Amino acid sequence: MKLNLDRWSVSLSCVAVAGLLAGCASGVQNPRGVSVTEMKADERGFVAGTGVESQDLVRVADKMARGIVGIPQVVRAQGTPRVVLDPVVNETRFPINKDIFLTRIRAQLNSQSAGKVVFLARDRMTALERERDLKRSGQVTSGSDPNVVEFKGADFFLTGKLSSLTTRSSKGVSDYILYTFQLIDARTSDIIWEGFEEIKKQGLEDAVYR
Amino acid sequence: MSNLLPTRRNGEVLSLRNSALKQSKALAPLAMWLPVVMLVFSTGCATYSEGPAASTAAVSGSAPQAPRRDAVLWSYRNAALALRAGRFDQAKAELDDAIARLGGILGPNKDAASARRLFNEEAKKNFIGEPYERVMAYFYRGILYWMDGEPDNARACFRTGQLLDSDAENKTYAGDWALLDYLDGLASMKLAADGSDALARAQSHTRATALPAYVPRANVLFFVEFGNGPLKYASGQFREQLRFREGTSSVKSAVIKVAGQTLPAPSYDDVYFQATTRGGRVMDHILAGKAQFKGATDAVGDAAIVSGAILGVTQQGRRSNADEIGAGLLLFGLASKLISGATNPTADTRCWENLPGHLSFAAAELPPGQHTATAEFLNAAGTPHRVKTLTFTVQPGRDTVVFVSDH
Repeated sequence: MKLNLDRWSVSLSCVAVAGLLAGCASGVQNPRGVSVTEMKADERGFVAGTGVESQDLVRVADKMARGIVGIPQVVRAQGTPRVVLDPVVNETRFPINKDIFLTRIRAQLNSQSAGKVVFLARDRMTALERERDLKRSGQVTSGSDPNVVEFKGADFFLTGKLSSLTTRSSKGVSDYILYTFQLIDARTSDIIWEGFEEIKKQGLEDAVYR
Repeated sequence: MSNLLPTRRNGEVLSLRNSALKQSKALAPLAMWLPVVMLVFSTGCATYSEGPAASTAAVSGSAPQAPRRDAVLWSYRNAALALRAGRFDQAKAELDDAIARLGGILGPNKDAASARRLFNEEAKKNFIGEPYERVMAYFYRGILYWMDGEPDNARACFRTGQLLDSDAENKTYAGDWALLDYLDGLASMKLAADGSDALARAQSHTRATALPAYVPRANVLFFVEFGNGPLKYASGQFREQLRFREGTSSVKSAVIKVAGQTLPAPSYDDVYFQATTRGGRVMDHILAGKAQFKGATDAVGDAAIVSGAILGVTQQGRRSNADEIGAGLLLFGLASKLISGATNPTADTRCWENLPGHLSFAAAELPPGQHTATAEFLNAAGTPHRVKTLTFTVQPGRDTVVFVSDH
């Protein structure tokens, strides 16, 4: 057997170069960054968890808005029903901006229901009352008698609740979220409509995080 | 292949056919390349230098940006500092950023996969902390939500915190943070729901001091922390085992004195206990495997080098194949040693080191208006070690949250 000394040297050089390349490659991921990717709100992005995400919001709000527009008390109402939003109760394990669901439902109804329902801006009452007081005191002009109470009362309250069940084991985490929304008759407290949507998500993190 | 010229060693001209020469010639490039190869591998395995602990400058926003893999760690540290300094908006921003990253770790992750590789240390992964650190992030965020009048979102944080502790290898200590369940139940009670189950769970988790019953009319909530949290270090032959060192502090409990009331605030949760009672991690098995491989390749390398050297020396000049085999063994041994040297089973010891050692809670019913309270942090003998004065305003119709820290 004859040893090929030069080949050994070359091999070692290759090992060294490979090591160098491996070293260079291991430090930075996406060294040039990732360009901004615009996504649809109802699209599942590449950053995802098991919590409440935009695609869930769109899906739930769409379904609830369609449900509200179709109920007889709205379709056959004598006048235009007036609705006040009552904050959603979050019973899940995910801290969320609770107003966003009702805001999305309200915006969709306002833009697509052609005036079948009207929402009252109760969250703006402080500013509205200040404006009314300015009119009453004559500090600003008024197109009508400011002493007449014109703030409308609610016919219905729209509210909701987010509940969840969570399982966590060595196989991953599973989150089931039940979204329920109700339209409540302000006069009788009857729940005249209730819609729900349920979403379940599962995932498992890399072993280095377990 | 290029031809080799005759060379001299100790005044003797060595023939090209001399296998001993071949061996020495074979080793010559090895010796020449060895430092380079070692340098290359060590460069390849080098990682970012760890960011400095958060400083006052970091909190003020003038700090340099954290390396991506340490971003959560920096957010954790800054959040704790901001919370203690009363900069709640900054604490919220830091925690929201960290929690958003925590929620995005599910599924394949290149950095995580890289940290599992043989030649990379665990600290190559993006830091999110051990479960007790993640729990503390949610705990702090829950306090801030409650401070903002959102007890349901606070409860959500406490629930997630408890869940993060629920997949412990040692099930005896899974999901056993007493305060998280206690506050879950309290928030439920405040939201006109039933918090009795959560209270019962909390009481089953208490160790030293029983938790007080809920006071429905209590409108001022004192979240108290004291002592120093655990620190991480690595042990084992190759520093592949993650270990925790208990933080030292003279403070063992606290008392809040306000409006003629004395509210005890003993330790309901011990952060060091939580860090050390979970049992092993999945990553520990991976690191143990790396360490075993490193040890085995090192031993094999030693054996091959020694065997090769013996063969090379004893068979020199005998024109047998044994000296060539010896050279081969030497090379194999060196390669094995190189691979062993490059294998990195080091455990990740990056640590949220400004955590408290103990968590406590107290509640009181106070009339609306400004109040001044005194927080006494007591040593083991019950003597005040440190006293802090707190001024806060109780708003009507909502809870007032006061964060109290001995840090």
